[in-house]
Amino acid sequence: MEDTLFGLSEDQIANFGLTFGVTAFILFMLFIVFNLARESKAGKFGTFVLFVVLAFGMLGFIAKNVIQWFIHI
Amino acid sequence: MHHKQAVSATVTLASPLVWLACGWRDLRHAPLPGLLHGLIASLFGAFLFAVAGERFWLLAGAFSGFMLVAPVVATGLYGVSRGLEQGRQVGLREVLALWRSRDARLVGFGLLLGLAGTAWVLTSASLLVLLAPAPINGPADFLRLVVLADSPFLFELWMLIGGLLAAPVFASSVLTLPMLVDRDCSLGIAVRASWRAVADYPLVMAFWAILIVLLVTLGLLTWLIGLLVVVPLLGHASWHAYRALGPAAGSQGGL
Repeated sequence: MEDTLFGLSEDQIANFGLTFGVTAFILFMLFIVFNLARESKAGKFGTFVLFVVLAFGMLGFIAKNVIQWFIHI
Repeated sequence: MHHKQAVSATVTLASPLVWLACGWRDLRHAPLPGLLHGLIASLFGAFLFAVAGERFWLLAGAFSGFMLVAPVVATGLYGVSRGLEQGRQVGLREVLALWRSRDARLVGFGLLLGLAGTAWVLTSASLLVLLAPAPINGPADFLRLVVLADSPFLFELWMLIGGLLAAPVFASSVLTLPMLVDRDCSLGIAVRASWRAVADYPLVMAFWAILIVLLVTLGLLTWLIGLLVVVPLLGHASWHAYRALGPAAGSQGGL
């Protein structure tokens, strides 16, 4: 028997998560942008999101290299 | 001692470091409530490990999900920082009273954050399950299959999507809880003040978000012991971020 959680297999959870999870977060982001648009600050919110996403990606890249370096030392 | 901070217009990239320094000062002036909050966070982390340790795809998400809900956990610390600002020590009894007030706005926001945390746990788990070349059952598998995977940028992708999903939640909560503790305003007003601060200072707030992630990672890497200090430090620092970025005292702060 596969690993299950509340009777759902990992794959089922995965499909559900990606379909609804990402959609919900993106919709939420659009909602914020829409709200801030009235104050013409929507673009600045986009800047924030862009910086966070890029910084997270860079952190991941750096962390990965550091961990690899530690393991192969 | 604790000077009133004038609501200044000069928020710079160095400001998050100033907030951390102020948070550190608060923690040293009133260590007991802070360390108690830190201890609870560490114990909760250990509990997560015990429950989800065998399902690493779940654990990885659970920890990041916990980060989303942590601001609610630190609520008592905002009261402590505010007390220090007014030049008085806030005892544990007052912190407990804040908890026991069962403020509907705090509970409501906590539930919303919990919902967002759950959504992220599911999304993170999905990514790992669908993208990893083999099932991930423990931290060792995560290291081998995700972090050390040389071909695709799986780990980076996981972080990128994590950042994408964390951004709106961070923007909605960075000032919200200290503001709810400080003022008698509605949840909507506090959340919108938070969004506005992020839109006013996108770069500074992105830096603040990264600092928080780095410090929490440090806390986790020290087998959760670091959380003892990191959680109260960030809690107090969040109060100072609110003081620097929130609507000026006396203003309505609404739209």
